[in-house]
Amino acid sequence: MLATVHAATLHGIEGRLIRVEVDVAPGLPGFTIVGLPDAALQEARERVRGAIRNSGLAFPPRRITVNLAPADLRKAGASLDLGIAVAILVGSEQVRTSGRWAFIGELSLGGDVRAVPGILPMAAALARAGVRRAVVPRGAWTEASLAREIECLPAATLGDALELLRSGNGHRRRTAAAPPARVELATGPAEAQAAAASQGWPSVPPGVRSSAAPGVLSSATPGVRSAEYLAGAVPDLADVRGQLLGRRALEIALAGGHGLVFVGPPGSGKTLLARTIPGLLPPLDDGEAMVASAIASAAGEGPLLDLVRTRPFRAPHHTISYAGMVGGGPRLSPGEVTRAHEGVLFLDELPEFGRDVLEALRQPLEDGRVAIVRVGGATLFPARFQLIAAMNPCPCGGAADPTGYCSCRTGVPERYAARVSGPLRDRIDLWVEMPRVPPGALLGRTDAETSATVAARIALARGVARERAAEPNSRLNGRLLRAACDLGPAEEALTGAIASSMLLSARGVERLLRVARTIADLGDAPSVRTRHLEEAARFRLPAGLLGGRRAR
Amino acid sequence: MVDERGAWAVLSSVGGLGPATFGRLLREQGSATRVLELAASASGQTLLRNGPSGSPGERAADDDPVAAADRRRIPIDVIAAMVLAARTASDTLGRWREAGISFVTLDDPAYPSRLRAIDEPPVVLFVRGSLDALSAPHAVAVVGTRRPTEAGRQIATRIGDALTRSGAVVVSGLAVGIDGAAHAAAVAVGMPTVAVLGSGHDRLFPRAHVPLADAIVDAGGAVVSELSPDALPTQGTFPRRNRVISGLTQATIVIEAAARSGALITAGWALEQGRGCFLVPGSIDAPASAGCLAFLRAFPGEARIVAGIPELVEDLDLVDRAHGMSTGSVGPGGPPRATMPAVSLAALQATLGAVEARLAGLLVAGLSTVDELAEGLDLPAATVLGAITLLELRGLISSAYGRYRPAGALTGCGPGLPHPRSGATLTGDRPRDTRVDQTAARSR
Repeated sequence: MLATVHAATLHGIEGRLIRVEVDVAPGLPGFTIVGLPDAALQEARERVRGAIRNSGLAFPPRRITVNLAPADLRKAGASLDLGIAVAILVGSEQVRTSGRWAFIGELSLGGDVRAVPGILPMAAALARAGVRRAVVPRGAWTEASLAREIECLPAATLGDALELLRSGNGHRRRTAAAPPARVELATGPAEAQAAAASQGWPSVPPGVRSSAAPGVLSSATPGVRSAEYLAGAVPDLADVRGQLLGRRALEIALAGGHGLVFVGPPGSGKTLLARTIPGLLPPLDDGEAMVASAIASAAGEGPLLDLVRTRPFRAPHHTISYAGMVGGGPRLSPGEVTRAHEGVLFLDELPEFGRDVLEALRQPLEDGRVAIVRVGGATLFPARFQLIAAMNPCPCGGAADPTGYCSCRTGVPERYAARVSGPLRDRIDLWVEMPRVPPGALLGRTDAETSATVAARIALARGVARERAAEPNSRLNGRLLRAACDLGPAEEALTGAIASSMLLSARGVERLLRVARTIADLGDAPSVRTRHLEEAARFRLPAGLLGGRRAR
Repeated sequence: MVDERGAWAVLSSVGGLGPATFGRLLREQGSATRVLELAASASGQTLLRNGPSGSPGERAADDDPVAAADRRRIPIDVIAAMVLAARTASDTLGRWREAGISFVTLDDPAYPSRLRAIDEPPVVLFVRGSLDALSAPHAVAVVGTRRPTEAGRQIATRIGDALTRSGAVVVSGLAVGIDGAAHAAAVAVGMPTVAVLGSGHDRLFPRAHVPLADAIVDAGGAVVSELSPDALPTQGTFPRRNRVISGLTQATIVIEAAARSGALITAGWALEQGRGCFLVPGSIDAPASAGCLAFLRAFPGEARIVAGIPELVEDLDLVDRAHGMSTGSVGPGGPPRATMPAVSLAALQATLGAVEARLAGLLVAGLSTVDELAEGLDLPAATVLGAITLLELRGLISSAYGRYRPAGALTGCGPGLPHPRSGATLTGDRPRDTRVDQTAARSR
């Protein structure tokens, strides 16, 4: 007979509802999957066959055709395994289903349900499609529960899933259905569990062959991973000695979302300063956290224990591939630009990155998203990141040495700097030249400000900017920028003097104003004053990087 | 047909035709015009190639007349180039004229006499700009590495400035680095300077200095080359060019030369030509000064050191002229300028705001990074950065790689000591932008 159950796959960072239709018909025994399945999905036949047999159930010796609808969408991954198995069992009348149930999970040959990447976006997509109840892998249950408007039930094995189906059918329990919102928010697994319990569902329902030890879920403290990360690897600003220029630039950049490049020789503390960034970023708000969690889940960082609340800080190595940066690959995985969405993308040794990799940053820097176009259609990934980078002034680094002797051959430093193309430079508001300091002078407790103090100022300035405009200061342009700065005659005169004496282009003046606006925000000043402009002028593109080697 | 001088220029720009062969052709045929005529006619080419039959005196010197004739024979590709040059001579001259390129030949009275005195002087000099600049009574070469340290660049600027204000024409090679800084210093004062190219005028190298070359011409200086305007620069052209740089001048000054630097070739030419040779010494640890020190060690007694800028001006015997020249021969810059840009630090500080004045003092004292300056001023970084900008708007500070140094009038200030010639004031320097100062003061 014909059976239909719901399931979901991941497309980019979005879940898609898939209807799994199974026809169990008389004829020669066979098992066919149609509907644009990829290689991993073709292999689902073997997993499903094994899982059903090894769960003490019968794999029907009939002609089985599985259709995955919509037929024109290319499906990938193993998340449909559980749905296919359940549909076959329904089609062969070994179990009954009613209502709109969905099943997500990969099966092992032994019948265990395994977690797959992207549980959260898949659950959210099911909820949007009106599915009210989903059986998910037990290992990813906490993550699935972060999605709103859908009741997620954990299953450790195929047997668990069938048990849930039977009891659910018997009791006909439902959540109060509210119209699904486009963005669903969850407050946390604790509340989700409480909500589930209040509706009569046990936190960890009894399974036929429960494979997880009792208490595994409750022992995991939400967010513990990021907390450890913060405590361990992230240095505090108070541990960075001196480098007032770099510190100040970092504070301004993070407060206004500006692009920032540190230019300095090896040992000037560029990377050390950059590593303090995670401790300076304000946490994500609810909407941002939901998107960030979906991205993290789709990128395979899951299963998540809580919504991702810490702002992403991604620091890919310069050997990264094009697809690794912008996204793509066989599974259409999000790239680093997307994983840094609403956070910071830090590129150490900027000119060492591949030319095409750097040029690919232009679109996301402009639009806040990246489009991956393939034969099957375009996929949009969110990619509103802040670019922070570090580079040497020349390959040998000697030009910035106190002795000032550069051993690079003629033309080499120019070509090195030219790898960072003009359009990319235009997107960077702050440039800082860092002098080399004696070895050992960088680290050590000082009376310098702590990360917490600076982070508070940054959060405050961001708040001020948000009240003024929907966009961060780094995205202000033209009329909006002028209005935000509210220059008086004295400030206009100073801007003109700076522009003419420092040979700023029209874009250069806008960069100056944007930075000045953020400096004013840090001082909680309603409009930009001359002292803000004077300071902002220090962060313009260094003459040596304009080409021509300061040769006039 | 072209006149004799034009014929010289056309012939000298034939590739492969060196000064020796050129001289012989002139002797054999009597004039360059005649050589061109022969080249343009089918029958004359053989005559050119083999030389006139009746010159037994020269042949007799050789043991084997046939081998000698072979040696003296001009290669066929050079003859071909001469034929082509002869046929297009008028066009070529017209093109040069349009491009603003004039030329001066060795037998021309306008040919710079200092250069004529060297061994193998260029037969023709192609000149863009003023011919007078080449024969200025006082000319000094300022050369050095293409990769100077920031300190070296500033020394080049100051020496270029001081020499120009003392009435000497600065001659250099238009390269990036020290050369460019020296030229630019002269141009900044609005005085003539001479750039000697290692390429033809149409192939000016480095390309980044095309605007500087134009500025030199506009300021009454000259850009010269002994190579045909369409000649490409090669490895060999630059060392040969260096003999012209030293040859045009009474002395050569080398600021920063690493070991095996091309600037040392110029210094070597200067000694060989019997001209003065001065080198700026550096620390024995500084790679950028290694060549200067090695040269000083190799030529004790001949190569001299630059002990300071006033001392250099004195050693070059330019001091008296400097005072004499302030009466009339100043360029279009306006009123006579002070000989040296020196002012007292205190006088300068009086024109600045309180924070900027203290900052200027610290810069002169040698503090350079924002960390050092902020600690010295005991002010937050934001305030220090703003003050740096105000000094920059006044042209009193320069920055490189995160270090700040005094610039402009501030470089003339000794650390805390008034300069011997502190009578000069700022009047001749960059006019003070009072509007900005006022607005800045109001905002504080």
